[in-house]
Amino acid sequence: MPAPQDALWYKDAIIYQVHVKSFYDSNADGLGDFRGLAQKLDYLQDLGVNAVWLMPFFPSPLRDDGYDIADYYSVHPNYGTIDDFKLFLDAAHQRGIRVIIEMVLNHTSDQHAWFQESRKSRDNPRRDWYVWSETDTKYKGTRIIFLDTELSNWAWDPVSKEYYWHRFFSHQPDLNYENPAVREEMWNVMKFWLDMGVDGFRLDAVPYLVEREGTNCENLPETHAIIKELRKKLDEHYPGRMLLAEANQWPADLRPYFGDGDEFNAAFHFPLMPRMFMALKLEDRKPVTEILQQTPEIPPNCQWCLFLRNHDELTLEMVTDMERDYMYDEYAKDKGMRLNLGIRRRLAPLLDNDRRRIELMTGMLMSLPGTPIVYYGDEIGMGDNVNLGDRNGVRTPMQWDGGWNGGFSAADPEALYSPLMLNPVYGYQAINVQSQKRFDHSLLFWMKRMIKVRKSQTVFGRGSIEFLYPANHRILAYVRQLDRETVLVVNNLSSSAQAVELDLRRHKGNILIEMFGRNIFPRIGDLPYLLTLGPYQFFWFRLRRI
Amino acid sequence: MPEENILTDDFLRELMNVGEVDILIGMATCNDAKTAGDVILAVRAGLLKCFARQRAVIINVDCASQDGTPDLVRAASISDIPHASNLHALRTLHCVSTQVAGEPYGGAALHTILAAADLLRASTCAVFAPDSTAIEPDWVERLVRPVLRDNFDLVTPTYRRHKFDALLVRNLLYPMTRALYGRRLREPYALDFAFSGKLGTHFLGEDVWTQDSAQTGAETLLTVSAMSGDFRIAQSFLGERSRRDQSASDLVPAIRRTVGALFWSLEGNYPLWSSAKESQAVATMGPDHEVSVDPIRADRTRLYEMFVHGVAELEPVLKSILSPATMVELQKVTRQAEDSLRYPDELWVQTIYEFAASYHKSVISRDHIIQALAPLYRGRAFTFLADNGDASGDEVEDYVEALCLTFERMKPSLLEMWAGGK
Repeated sequence: MPAPQDALWYKDAIIYQVHVKSFYDSNADGLGDFRGLAQKLDYLQDLGVNAVWLMPFFPSPLRDDGYDIADYYSVHPNYGTIDDFKLFLDAAHQRGIRVIIEMVLNHTSDQHAWFQESRKSRDNPRRDWYVWSETDTKYKGTRIIFLDTELSNWAWDPVSKEYYWHRFFSHQPDLNYENPAVREEMWNVMKFWLDMGVDGFRLDAVPYLVEREGTNCENLPETHAIIKELRKKLDEHYPGRMLLAEANQWPADLRPYFGDGDEFNAAFHFPLMPRMFMALKLEDRKPVTEILQQTPEIPPNCQWCLFLRNHDELTLEMVTDMERDYMYDEYAKDKGMRLNLGIRRRLAPLLDNDRRRIELMTGMLMSLPGTPIVYYGDEIGMGDNVNLGDRNGVRTPMQWDGGWNGGFSAADPEALYSPLMLNPVYGYQAINVQSQKRFDHSLLFWMKRMIKVRKSQTVFGRGSIEFLYPANHRILAYVRQLDRETVLVVNNLSSSAQAVELDLRRHKGNILIEMFGRNIFPRIGDLPYLLTLGPYQFFWFRLRRI
Repeated sequence: MPEENILTDDFLRELMNVGEVDILIGMATCNDAKTAGDVILAVRAGLLKCFARQRAVIINVDCASQDGTPDLVRAASISDIPHASNLHALRTLHCVSTQVAGEPYGGAALHTILAAADLLRASTCAVFAPDSTAIEPDWVERLVRPVLRDNFDLVTPTYRRHKFDALLVRNLLYPMTRALYGRRLREPYALDFAFSGKLGTHFLGEDVWTQDSAQTGAETLLTVSAMSGDFRIAQSFLGERSRRDQSASDLVPAIRRTVGALFWSLEGNYPLWSSAKESQAVATMGPDHEVSVDPIRADRTRLYEMFVHGVAELEPVLKSILSPATMVELQKVTRQAEDSLRYPDELWVQTIYEFAASYHKSVISRDHIIQALAPLYRGRAFTFLADNGDASGDEVEDYVEALCLTFERMKPSLLEMWAGGK
């Protein structure tokens, strides 16, 4: 079982993000399921991750890959039953793996019974569970998020002859959090899963819970009050569980979601991710250091969650127009790779399948301040299929081996929820877990080693960061420190070998111990510390005074 | 290697930090704090506006400034050091400064810039004068883009000039270069220009850097190098160039830097210029000239006096440079009254060609030959002012064109003298 006494476990976690349907199919129906996921927990344990974040698995018409929930109290029959979920949850806990599930607070599916009731008539008791209006002119200052598909945040309901509010797809009506009954019911939903043993929730789309005329309807004080209320109940009744915020905002706008340590335990750092890719392409650390300089301090019990890729497009909302154009030109030359304000590609294809760049980016993910999240399949370098619609190209079946359906399912290939990757570079016959387990130098082995080293030092999850600013801007160097643990990280963002002089006088007298090979480097003296790094090379050094 | 001994260790360390670049901007300075800061800011703005994605560096080669000029340059850097700059830029921009000994704005500055560009593998380089006070950020694009995007190897500027400005260019450098090398480059030896890494590396490797001419006229020799090799040349209109306040003592260094280098270049390029026939236009972005005619005060009397007295004082020297016939004609000119004095086109061209031939033959010290040209140039400048006092821009242009044709028509006489016929 995970250590329950450590309320800050999420600071030391390595989170693995997975969609149940994509991981392993235990009953040969073409879809992954909880029993299949449970069978693959040994793989995750061996990889070294200690938390799993599951994408939505609730009953749903699946018009938004499960983010359109039709019943919060059950499991989609495609994925199994509540008992299957419990079986999986217990098995994960037995292996020391915590489980974070998705909770879509902001909206439901239009097929949810609540909405079906609400739309029946204007005097229905559930009418006020959603946001209705006779006109589509309210909240004019609110942006449209899905620009490629939606023209308005209002949709006409022909049944009750009014408009309803939706920040995402029109089939996802927003719940009305002004209504105490809605707030109470959503807490009941969370209690249902907490009682079962889940360790945390990733709360989807939190900035949009409340609407106010004259505002942009994002990040409103009323929304924060709702989060505080939920957190208070969580801490009172379920200590040691956590809330993770999905709020694609600038760091300064995100900071309030931590409150005084009494709102979210953790939040995704959205603006950092595109800047890591930008820095790599520019061969210039500036985008990374600048966004982290703009990132405010957070309360000691809070944490950033960092990621390179996830189930969505590589979002470019939190960049300037100039930066967005640059990212499109460099990472999504084919317009089919673009979606909304982002790029729908996986890690390996984004980095031209360059092992050195994949390692460097993963090294930064694991060493910058925060909890890293690994998207399923990225640990073996899976590819994407931009020919599939929406974001489905990055949600293809996990590639376990080179055999039937890549080891994902015994069903007929035609029955799979998604086509397998078949091309000679990223196809399951070339990229799969089994083949990578055979070779010590595979990406999978490298990831295991990386995760192990990361977990060996709590400084990575809990320590402070101090950037060094060597004159060579291609070098991103920082010192992580926690009590007596000090780690120096030096990354070469360049495709060519670089020399760098680091001002380490503050650590004079320490020797450097390279953390992967444990080799000793010269003692730090008064002079600038000279290092040379090969293309995309990085070092992690533990500093020791001996 | 030519660059081995020209870059200091400190500068090399800075270049190491800069790394490979796409665009290198160079600027030679010497106590230019009054103007260099604005030039650097304009250049930086131009880079951010038009070349935000390119890796760029600004390199200042300073000659012992005492007024803090290098600090102004360094302060324009864009980095991620907190509070260093409020500018939003995609990339880091290094602005570095290094010191060179020797003559201000001399060949050592361009030599250093070329060596740095070669080490940093810059595909495009541009040089801006620290006193280009009329500079706009767009100048960067106008000079750099033809090299970076259109694969030109040398881009010289054209400016909007006052009709009485740049008289040395109009009366000698442009027409003579055009006649000898066959390229109609309006500002062949400019202070603001751009060149490709290919041309820079080629010129860096040329055996000129130990010569006096390279120490004083390296920019001129770069243009000649481009014209004499397999390089694509263009000119690009920048806009108004502010007039430089020049004293009489500036003239000889200016002639040495331009005319001296041009004369020197004829030595090694005889096969090229001797065979060049009719001049050809070069690719031009924007107008190839613009002339403004605002009334300004020109001290013609002083020019007249310096010409007449200079020719008299230098008579023995001039007699060793010029043919007897030309000397006689020249003395006739000096005897004219101020209001009627004219140094006619043909005599002026013959004078220049005889100076070039004498320089070739080293009839006396070459530097004395160059210095002796100064008073004659003043006579020609007086003539230009007198002839164009009320002229429109087009009329000035016609006047210059006529002189160019005279230079081209009389080129055989230079060839004859060069071969030793006179």
